[in-house]
Amino acid sequence: MAGELEGSKPLSGLLSGLAQSTFHGHTGITEELLRSQLYSEVPPEEFRPFLEKMRGLLKSIAYADMDFNQLEAFLTAQTKKQGGITADQAAVISKFWKSHKTKIKESLINQSRWENSLKTMNWRVDLKSQSKHLDQINVPVAIVELELGKSGQIGI
Amino acid sequence: MAADCQSLLELTMEGLCQPPQEVGSEVTNQLLDLQWKMGMAVSSDSCKSLKSPYVAVTLKVADQSGQITNKSFEMTIPQFQYFFKQFKEMAAVIETV
Repeated sequence: MAGELEGSKPLSGLLSGLAQSTFHGHTGITEELLRSQLYSEVPPEEFRPFLEKMRGLLKSIAYADMDFNQLEAFLTAQTKKQGGITADQAAVISKFWKSHKTKIKESLINQSRWENSLKTMNWRVDLKSQSKHLDQINVPVAIVELELGKSGQIGI
Repeated sequence: MAADCQSLLELTMEGLCQPPQEVGSEVTNQLLDLQWKMGMAVSSDSCKSLKSPYVAVTLKVADQSGQITNKSFEMTIPQFQYFFKQFKEMAAVIETV
């Protein structure tokens, strides 16, 4: 069973699923979904700590916004730790971070914006032809429609 | 960037903001004032180094009954540049009308 977790093929898929739920706000990706899709031979009680370990690694890497040197040093240290990762797993994580780093950073920035953002903007210019107040005739008026809303927040 | 914000402010104050009209004389809300600030999100609990600049705007708006509310929102720099571009286009149209 432990041999299954040490494999590196399903890990790439796992990291994608983790990134989707942790950073990009995808709510449908549960632990059970990931386990049954990618590590079906592994019992849930073994899978859970493994998943949390991977999630923790991704969050640490994202928190520090590691460049490639820092990433290599960090992952190498993880391979030397008791209960850490294998060299194969380190390689998968490294490859994953390199291709997803930018998108994850964008999502993190989005998550940190808690005020309204500008969703859409429409406008037109009117020329008043009739009005209660004569001094308003032939005054151009710009009318703007702004749609404001919250975006990028997870789970609130 | 600050220069752009200042130009936007001048544009809106000159061309688009109006002194409060009599109650019931306008069919849409009226823009009374526009305030802006530029900020930089430095760090968050999920990312130590965000380094993300933004423009925050507050609009003071009077509705048809004269009631005044503030509407505020934030924009990323690209969003702000789009926002600003719309106002420049509006100003150009108003010139020609």
